Amino acid sequence: MSDTLFAILHMCIFPGGVFALAVGFFFKGLDRRVEARLQRRVGPPLTQPWLDMAKLLTKETLIPRTACRPAFLLAPVFGFTGMAVCAAFIPVPGVFGGLFNMGDLLVIFYLLPIPAMALMLGGSASSSPFGAVGFSREMLLMLAYETPLLMILLAVAMLVGKGISGGDWGAEFSLLKIVAWQQHSGSLGLNPVMIPALLAYLIFLPGTMGVAPFDIPEAETEIIEGPLLEYGGPLLALFQVASALKTFVVLGLGVALFFPGTICEWWPVNLLWFVLKCLGLMLVSLTLVKSATGRFRIDQAFRFYVTVPTALALCSLILVWVM
Amino acid sequence: MALDNMLKKLSVRSPWLFRINAGSCNGCDVELATTACIPRYDVERLGCKYCGSPRHADIVLITGPLTTRVRDRVLRVWHEIPEPKVTVAVGICPISGGVFREGYSIEGPLDRYLPVDVNVPGCPPRPQAILEGVVLARSIWLKKLGLEE
Repeated sequence: MSDTLFAILHMCIFPGGVFALAVGFFFKGLDRRVEARLQRRVGPPLTQPWLDMAKLLTKETLIPRTACRPAFLLAPVFGFTGMAVCAAFIPVPGVFGGLFNMGDLLVIFYLLPIPAMALMLGGSASSSPFGAVGFSREMLLMLAYETPLLMILLAVAMLVGKGISGGDWGAEFSLLKIVAWQQHSGSLGLNPVMIPALLAYLIFLPGTMGVAPFDIPEAETEIIEGPLLEYGGPLLALFQVASALKTFVVLGLGVALFFPGTICEWWPVNLLWFVLKCLGLMLVSLTLVKSATGRFRIDQAFRFYVTVPTALALCSLILVWVM
Repeated sequence: MALDNMLKKLSVRSPWLFRINAGSCNGCDVELATTACIPRYDVERLGCKYCGSPRHADIVLITGPLTTRVRDRVLRVWHEIPEPKVTVAVGICPISGGVFREGYSIEGPLDRYLPVDVNVPGCPPRPQAILEGVVLARSIWLKKLGLEE
């Protein structure tokens, strides 16, 4: 009973819920600001995502007459819930180990595509032809970027499994043990064997977050935001919350997989260190790339994902296997 | 009620812009793109964002003299924008027809069909004028919400 209560608290306050949302929105604001600065603009204030949220809550909600109402209304709730649960599984090294009795890599792997699926559901329920185009693009892109992700997770799990068992075959899927193992035998991000996997993860990030050059499903200049086209007001706000939570989840997962080191025993410093590492990951893989690139066509993006990051991740997987 | 008012007050700091081309010669559209993109006039510092979907829009920027062919579509898209919305006529064309005035295919001026809140005259208007129009639209939006600045 108290375990359940504990888990719910973790989902609502820390590291899921309130904390994840605060970090996610902070990152989103900073992302826009840094992008503007890179293009020599002033950029919006750091609080912009919160202001957008306030605005969307005061707007009118319009539902298309031809839309499938229940699916249209449920889709954002779906995406939000999936990410709120997933955020509780993210370990904050030195502060919180994640919901260890149930949280492992495979649970996260299954929870991660939920926002994309919610987008697909919403897009197809909106009865808009642009939603349908967005649906098919989202689906293709998802199929393409999930393959390297699975390989990265496998490579990490196998390396740590081998490390723990001292050279035997075996994989370790518990995030808690992966983080603990790295804390005393060195971060995987600094291990030469895992560098291709780290690169693949950095390439995976813009795809899963749907930012340029992989913002193909929501391309506002071609298919006027695709699945999000018919959403407005509080429903759109819920999609944005899910997206902010997802930013926290994928960056936090990256830190847990590759750089879970801590710098001291005191937890506030560790917390700050974790946020800084997430920030570094975001600036390198999302903001810099986004402000310097245009947009791929869907076939180019698909081909790119099934070749480059998949090959990199496979490289790590094979290296782990033979060593 | 206090929370509601606070949300409303904050909401005008996130105006999302939507552009409708009502048969414009593209001069004003280029000017709008300039206003958004180039560093000196960066419109994003006001919290603005150009959005692709009329459902996400708060401030509508309409350019062009409203030609016969495009009239019904403009009206239809305009009605798809959720309340509260503010309409800004950019350039002289939607205001009076400009050089196309009394042309055989011109249905304008725009305020014959839509309530226009801000006029930004010019052919094309300067970026500063467009920015001022957006700022004015913000205060009109606040008034529409029943609040004074």
